[in-house]
Amino acid sequence: MSDQALTYLDANSVATEGPAWLDVRRKAAHASFADAGFPHRRVEAWRYTDLSRLMAKTDWHPAAPHDGAVLVPEGRSNPFSSIASHKLVFVNGFFRQDLSELDGLPEGVEILPLETALERGTKFESAFDANGPEAMAPIAALNTACARDGAVIRLNEGITLEQPVQLIHYTPDGGATVAHTRNVIELGSGASMTLLEAQIGWGGAYLVDRVTNLNLGERASLTHVRLEDEDTDAVHLSTVLGDVASNASYKANTLALGGRAGRLQSALHFTGEGAHAESNTAYLLRETQHLDSTIVVDHAVPGCTSGALAKGVLDDEAIGVFQGKVIVAPHAQKSDAKQMSNALLLSRDAAMNAKPELEIYADDVQCAHGSTIGELDGDALFYLRSRGIEEQTARQMLISAFLGDVLEQISHEVARDALTERATQWFEVKKEGEV
Amino acid sequence: MVATRETVEAVDEAVGKYKYGFSTDIESEKAPKGLSEDTVRFISAKKNEPEWLLEWRLDAFRRWLNMEEPDWAKVNYPKIDYQDAYYYSAPKSDDDRPKSLDEIDPKILETYDKLGIPLVEQMALAGIAVDAVFDSVSVATTFKERLAEAGVIFCSFSEAVQDHPELVRQYLGTVVPVTDNYFATLNSAVFSDGSFVYVPKGVRCPMELSTYFRINEADTGQFERTLIIVEDGAYVSYLEGCTAPMRDEHQLHAAVVELVCLEDAEIKYSTVQNWYPGDEDGNGGIYNFVTKRGDCRGDNSKISWTQVETGSAVTWKYPSCVLRGDNSVGEFYSIAISNNLQQVDSGTKMIHLGKNTSSRIISKGISAGRSSSTYRGLVSVHKKAEDARNFTQCDSLLIGDRCSAHTVPYIESKNPSAILEHEATTSKLSEDQLFYCRQRGLDEEEAVALLVNGFCRDVLQQLPMEFAVEAQKLVGISLEGSVG
Amino acid sequence: MLEIKDLHASVDGTPILKGISLTIGDGEIHAIMGPNGSGKSTLSNVLAGRENYMITKGSIIYKGKDLTELSIEERASAGIFLAFQYPTEIPGVTTMTFLKTAVNAQRKARGEDELDAVKFLKLVREKAKELKVEEDMLKRPLNVGFSGGEKKRAETLQMSLLQPSLAVLDETDSGLDIDALKIVADGVNRMRAPDRSMIVITHYQRLLDYIVPDHVHVLAKGKIIRSGGKALAAELEASGYTDLTESAA
Repeated sequence: MSDQALTYLDANSVATEGPAWLDVRRKAAHASFADAGFPHRRVEAWRYTDLSRLMAKTDWHPAAPHDGAVLVPEGRSNPFSSIASHKLVFVNGFFRQDLSELDGLPEGVEILPLETALERGTKFESAFDANGPEAMAPIAALNTACARDGAVIRLNEGITLEQPVQLIHYTPDGGATVAHTRNVIELGSGASMTLLEAQIGWGGAYLVDRVTNLNLGERASLTHVRLEDEDTDAVHLSTVLGDVASNASYKANTLALGGRAGRLQSALHFTGEGAHAESNTAYLLRETQHLDSTIVVDHAVPGCTSGALAKGVLDDEAIGVFQGKVIVAPHAQKSDAKQMSNALLLSRDAAMNAKPELEIYADDVQCAHGSTIGELDGDALFYLRSRGIEEQTARQMLISAFLGDVLEQISHEVARDALTERATQWFEVKKEGEV
Repeated sequence: MVATRETVEAVDEAVGKYKYGFSTDIESEKAPKGLSEDTVRFISAKKNEPEWLLEWRLDAFRRWLNMEEPDWAKVNYPKIDYQDAYYYSAPKSDDDRPKSLDEIDPKILETYDKLGIPLVEQMALAGIAVDAVFDSVSVATTFKERLAEAGVIFCSFSEAVQDHPELVRQYLGTVVPVTDNYFATLNSAVFSDGSFVYVPKGVRCPMELSTYFRINEADTGQFERTLIIVEDGAYVSYLEGCTAPMRDEHQLHAAVVELVCLEDAEIKYSTVQNWYPGDEDGNGGIYNFVTKRGDCRGDNSKISWTQVETGSAVTWKYPSCVLRGDNSVGEFYSIAISNNLQQVDSGTKMIHLGKNTSSRIISKGISAGRSSSTYRGLVSVHKKAEDARNFTQCDSLLIGDRCSAHTVPYIESKNPSAILEHEATTSKLSEDQLFYCRQRGLDEEEAVALLVNGFCRDVLQQLPMEFAVEAQKLVGISLEGSVG
Repeated sequence: MLEIKDLHASVDGTPILKGISLTIGDGEIHAIMGPNGSGKSTLSNVLAGRENYMITKGSIIYKGKDLTELSIEERASAGIFLAFQYPTEIPGVTTMTFLKTAVNAQRKARGEDELDAVKFLKLVREKAKELKVEEDMLKRPLNVGFSGGEKKRAETLQMSLLQPSLAVLDETDSGLDIDALKIVADGVNRMRAPDRSMIVITHYQRLLDYIVPDHVHVLAKGKIIRSGGKALAAELEASGYTDLTESAA
């Protein structure tokens, strides 16, 4: 039993007055989290991100709904706003009908807030049962106990959604507030869509915890483009727990800029042969920001391919973490898995920790991982400068090229340009105290 | 699939035969079974140790009582009953220690002959000084005089305690502290013997030094302690070999090796570990929990670990380098072969503290049968380690579909001028390569041996010639003389 | 030397060879020509005994014995040598080590004494010189990073060291410029002997200008559709395969 967890749950867990199937799961999750507590550095999967310490000493309490106008600070707006989309907007973790655009959904497509779906009696038993691997289970339990709302996106068999779906979270308020949201995304056989997700906050000290359960049917395809841009005083947790069926494909590309401390974690689990999953993340951190990118890919069946790429740029006293794990189950022959973490340290006080793991129980596999940590290539910098490019521009060019491996892979052109633009803006923020 | 099965059999052939599994019938003297302060006092008294060393041991023992056995490694073994083993066993003739090789019990010499370590003739011809540790006691050290002329001290640890107590006291426990880990602390309390090497300033040790460890007695734990001190500008190459008889029960081996490397000095430490691995059903075999660490204390110092791990039922071993001096260099070259139900969890730690320090890690894991092999390593660059460099390559080769291979690297950098590169791959023995070799007339076993040899080449090349041959045989290869 | 009768073979369940009959006498050189996908490389792999190449019908008799009963390495020691179209790279194993291991493995299998290091080195240097194989190449890992020409010269060197009875040269000309081709062809021609037969598999007639065959066979869709003397090769060069294969279909 953890006192910290109990205090937290007392203040933030959701009363079990909902549907019976959900109450059972909330109670179990409550007990499980109370027992495990916030993971700390002595928990192997959290050795580099001590969530218990990050969550210490504050009177955490639920955020209140924010009903008025949302005044997004300059330069922090939704990067996908120009893209015609179906759109779900959440503010402080609560759904805002007035800001969302859900009219004219095609037949066979369901996009609505979780709360509404629950009111309609929809059951999400399997989603709420999926806790992911050990590294992620405590957060999944915390979320199940505390999630008030979230997004539900469901595509029937064979549906190709022409317009992307935008899932936008704003957090304008803070002060030790917390918002737990739960998304459930289910694509039937052969269905496909693009999800554009932006998580933008400026409310100061708050916790956001978002868990997304993905279930991709056979031959389904999901493209997931994501911006994480939380307040630099905030703690943020984003968890993707995905089941990928045979010949289905999941491709995620994320740009992460924000938060005092955050963890982006994905657990992708293959349930049928011939599936593909990849998750690529670019992160840009400065001051004392801390970001942990953790991915576990479970090749439970033969013949699947996976990739994970993390590209980090760390300035000032920022700390980056990459933890990757590829598991190839016995008999999961012909698995092909690649993971790579590259980090650039731009300052004397920045630090990077990488832990790329392979756990292989089948012999006919191609698995590789790599990790590099270093500074900008001095020779390349010299070359550019010798051609008359000033140092700051040269550095920026090299860093943009470094990030290109993640950002240029985004297949949605407008989204790609928007995130590339965001990354560029990051350089232009004048550093404090810089002469 | 047929090919795969044949391949597995070929590897069984190559790796599976344990030819060191005989035991020698020699009268021995043991401490009473079990572990207590009395055991510690008994061992210390047997060795006629000074008071400070007894206190040091007792301190370790008391600390050990409050420690917990680590469980983070990817190995499974039944709980060890530390009270059900002997902590000291010495050939009885120890009462009357051999003064020279001629006085050694002929049966012990015979044993070493069977091991392929003729203490007298061949090593003399090869110009290697040998210290042989039988169960817990050093039985013979050769070439003492010649080494003494150069100022090199090479003797058993017990002798060093008697003859050079000031050196032992100055350095013991300074690289692997008493409380470093459960097994090292246990070793500190009950270690019985081991090797001691001291190479003074500016001396290049005139020959390879070698220690052969052998566990002979049943129910005996072996706890050697090795301490190597190499002063400014000096050099030594040290080889270590290990075997044990085939016994049905498991035997515990918990050694500690400390290397102290001062300014401009270099230590090359090579191990061929071939403890009995147990049979194909996992009966018997050595539990090998070893702490090996080198401290590059001076600027421009270099420590190089090379290991060929083919034996033991369970291996838990991470030879490490603390790169304290500026420009110091740490290297780790490893081949770990596991077969049947063997479990290996091995790797290294490279701790970069000094400026311009560099480290290189080349690890080759080969898993066959139902075995499990894990590379676990840490590369840590501290804030002041300007321009540190690390290159790590971990490759795993799987032979058959019932074994597993894991890679668990920790890579940590706190200095922007440091460059750390890590690569790892896992693959199986290539069918194309096997076919090619067989088309040229090699049978499956030879083909596998050749290919595995090729896979391990980067590491085998690091071994001194004398050991390379033994290692290649162990890897299942018959190169039969070198060409080209 | 070799008698193939009504040979049918499939690869991973797909039938490729559909009834090949071929008799090769001692000392003869037979060229097998054909378009891509005709089954040329399958034939060479079947002769070498590659595992996923299944013989479904027919027989191969080599020196009076049933070849199909021998393992890959037994065939090699019995004198069958396959010069690979794409020689496999073997990292970590130097060419010299490989050559010595292969030569002695075959000698051992035939009950002959193994060659000692000195004799072997002398032999290799002699042969290497003839084939313009540099000493440096022998120290490099086998075929790793070799150019196309180097790979084919290394194959020819192996052939001259192993002294096979039946050499199967699979597209030996692919990836070679004219100078490299001449060196390789010289090496092969030097090995012509009354007790040594060869099967030269090629797509183009070019190679046959340098290694002149006694017989030429045209393979298409898994069958030999025409056989003749060396003039047939020139005829093919002029008319191409299309006419022949269409008439066969």
